[in-house]
Amino acid sequence: MDANANNHAVSRTPVFCTIVPPHVLDKLARAEDPALADPARRTLERDALERTRRRITTVRGAAAPTGAPSDKPKRTIFDAERQENLPGKKMRSEGGQATGDDTVTRAYDGLGATFKMFLKAYGRRSIDDSGLPLKATVHYGEDYGNAFWNGEQMVFGDGDGEIFKDFTIPVDVTAHELAHGVTQYTANLEYFGQSGALNESLSDVFGSLTKQFQLGQTADEADWLIGAGLLADRVTGVALRSMKAPGTAYDDDVLGKDPQPATMEHYVRTSRDNGGVHINSGIPNHAFYLVAKALGGHAWERAGKIWYATLTGGELATDADFADFAQATVSAAQSQYGEGEEQRAVLDAWAKVGISDLRARAGAR
Amino acid sequence: MRISVTRTGGFAGIERRAELDTSGRPDAKHLQALAHQAVETGHITPTRGVPDGFHYEITVDGRTVHAADPNLSDAQRELVRTVLKEGA
Repeated sequence: MDANANNHAVSRTPVFCTIVPPHVLDKLARAEDPALADPARRTLERDALERTRRRITTVRGAAAPTGAPSDKPKRTIFDAERQENLPGKKMRSEGGQATGDDTVTRAYDGLGATFKMFLKAYGRRSIDDSGLPLKATVHYGEDYGNAFWNGEQMVFGDGDGEIFKDFTIPVDVTAHELAHGVTQYTANLEYFGQSGALNESLSDVFGSLTKQFQLGQTADEADWLIGAGLLADRVTGVALRSMKAPGTAYDDDVLGKDPQPATMEHYVRTSRDNGGVHINSGIPNHAFYLVAKALGGHAWERAGKIWYATLTGGELATDADFADFAQATVSAAQSQYGEGEEQRAVLDAWAKVGISDLRARAGAR
Repeated sequence: MRISVTRTGGFAGIERRAELDTSGRPDAKHLQALAHQAVETGHITPTRGVPDGFHYEITVDGRTVHAADPNLSDAQRELVRTVLKEGA
């Protein structure tokens, strides 16, 4: 595969780049002394922010809406044949026959289930709400234990069989990746720090809701797990994340223990993983679970509608933090349902995870 | 030549690190060539990558570069796969 233009390091060093090497900033950012730690952390965050701005602008421009929005998905599944070239060989187009490859079938069905949930629950027509074709590549790489959204399509690895199985197995993983596309076309939350953890959390929320919608489960019946069925049999764990009880999904000799916090008290400050986007997402994940649990019934209905309105309402800044997002959900609950039990459930949930400085009434902060 | 790879991020957000010494290995020359190419095409600062994509920190004899999926060069790809699989 051709090296991407982004790969030419030295000659393309951007002008905003700091002179202090990032690993030093990294160490400083973890220093006890706030006089050292704070500026270093801000620099790291700003640099990373600039990089994403450019990237998102690029990928957003690349995929233009195509034709009239339809109530039917336009899916295409590709096979990378254990290479890492995208998109790979076309295996199945919309309406085409099953190929006999279970992985292709699962990806096709998973995209269909996700499309259906967004359409039926929120009236959304595909990733961009304008019928954007859904593209996914399976069998990516050799023993590749990951799935991702590259800005234009979903990509799934087969797993190594030792720790991870095939990433197309859990429908919530497929829906999680598709939801990254929805976020890119709506709130476009920066994939770093708290806005990045919100981006991750929204993918977990709509991932789990897709599974619950498919199974017809209520909030009480749902497992609220992300990646159930993905861990190989020898791994001690039930899934990768738990929205109901963050930090309890696995505890294994090789994988270590699920590091997710459920509350702000245990918020993890790190520069790894884009500032802990897959760690601190536990906090907004748990807030959503608490709202859904308090309201009862189908979580995609009231709780999901409040979160969906927040994501797509156009009021979130791309660098929104947890408190900004929480306040936006309170406002969304009020505009959808007035000052009733929904808004109270939202305020209670955020207070339980440690974000309590929210106003019940709409207006300037 | 000592080559270490730290992989962070990914859907699971689980970190992995492995190191390998090329001395005494039958493929030492090949790995050294890969390492040189991987460092040449690497970023000197961490890159943002894509949602759920892996990030790699590759250190060759004390010099560290960064790369992120899916934009690895062929040399980086082969090197990180070998080190994470065969390193300790």
